[in-house]
Amino acid sequence: MFGTLRKPTSFVPSLLFPLMFLALTSSSLERSISIEGFPEVDSFLQFAVATAVIQGVIFGSISAGSGMAEDIEGGFFERLIASPVARTSILAGRLAGTAALGFCQAWIYFAVTSIFGLSVEGGLAGMLAVAIVAAALAAGVGSISVALAIKTGSAEATEGSFPLFFALLFLSSAYFPRSLMEGWFKAAATLNPMSYLLESLRSIVVAELSALNFFTALGIALGVLVVGLAVASALLKRRLAMDA
Amino acid sequence: MSSLAVTWGVTHRTLQLVARLPSTIVPSLVMPVVLTVAFAGAFSGLVLLPGHPADKAIDWFLPLYTIQGAAFAGVRVGIAVARDLTTGFYDRLLLSPASRVSLLAGSLLASPLLSVLSFILLVVIAGLGGASFKAGPAGIVMLGVASFSMALAAGAWSVGLALRFKTQQIAPLMQTTVFLASFLSSAQMPLNLLDGWLHTVAVINPMTNVFALARQGFLGSVNWHDTWPGLVSLAGLTVFFCLFAYRSMQKVTP
Repeated sequence: MFGTLRKPTSFVPSLLFPLMFLALTSSSLERSISIEGFPEVDSFLQFAVATAVIQGVIFGSISAGSGMAEDIEGGFFERLIASPVARTSILAGRLAGTAALGFCQAWIYFAVTSIFGLSVEGGLAGMLAVAIVAAALAAGVGSISVALAIKTGSAEATEGSFPLFFALLFLSSAYFPRSLMEGWFKAAATLNPMSYLLESLRSIVVAELSALNFFTALGIALGVLVVGLAVASALLKRRLAMDA
Repeated sequence: MSSLAVTWGVTHRTLQLVARLPSTIVPSLVMPVVLTVAFAGAFSGLVLLPGHPADKAIDWFLPLYTIQGAAFAGVRVGIAVARDLTTGFYDRLLLSPASRVSLLAGSLLASPLLSVLSFILLVVIAGLGGASFKAGPAGIVMLGVASFSMALAAGAWSVGLALRFKTQQIAPLMQTTVFLASFLSSAQMPLNLLDGWLHTVAVINPMTNVFALARQGFLGSVNWHDTWPGLVSLAGLTVFFCLFAYRSMQKVTP
């Protein structure tokens, strides 16, 4: 985490870009909330803020993997595994830092958008719920990105996973409600778990905090974390066996 | 060695450098395709808004991402020049007897050439995705004129920045300015459906005219009313940023 904070270029773009995109889409698409079938919201900003949080968290978490890949490229990783450090702590430390950044990122987004009139119907507890899910998802995406770093050992290749996550986000109901989609895109968005995560978080923002919405979103985020950790651990074991 | 040979040599070298770096080719080639498909799908309901001129979302978003892809091809060229400046390769070019105008022209020519690939890919995707092509080939020509000119203007801006700052760390500034210039316009919504500060900015942003030029063949017929403001805007942007790049080239020292 401190490594990331020492290198602003690794987290400032992921913090600012979704905010910038949110400002532009909220202004551009404000009138779209009057389309018949659009969920009842105060503004497009209220509709899209959860997406901005998740977008920022995803982009920021990729830096966990690229940081690890840089350590591998620079030889620091080899020195780390040669030291008497528990193997699990190599992963856990990096992912805990990523989760903490994701948690903070959510609060920063809420603070900034509140200045521009955002009201979160779920209140402070709702914002905390979104931040907890953001932290879990940050660790989940971070673990996949770390797995890629271990597999490829290249920061450039790890950062190249960006379009994959980007596509996952865009092929969902991140930017527009599913009720106004049609054809294959609607089918893809319906199959994409990201849609359910975002819709649950959005409900917390536009309606109220409910246990169902919170645990649906958290469950999906933890699912990503479990899969990512399993893959990253297996790849780490294989890499250590090869190096031994 | 003639000036033309130097220009082509630099163009060739820049294209090779960009092609060798997957991290630079992916955003300019893959991202416009992903974004076109994603936006045309996600915002398919947007055209239901009364006053929206498009029949299908792809007619609205494909020209946006074709132009943005072309502009980002220009940014990639700027990053490639910044890389050559960082590694010292460009210093050797500057110390050679080749004229600086030829060196600059070589880099700038690479931008529209690089954008040809994404342009063809997106037109094919438009066909597969059921885009309207209401004006037929004339509409595609307008899209091409807008895209290639935009690649040149964005390339000139990015190369100018690279020559001024001589570091790859200037890349985010190239990307952010191009992104903002595109989106602070009628990029996502037509002018008549924009409100507030964004409407005010979009009215004075020349990119609004460029998008009108590029989109007209997808929304209806090609007409002079939508064409001339776009051509004037493109000419203005290209001349202004080429002059900026030229001034930067004059000031750069090995």
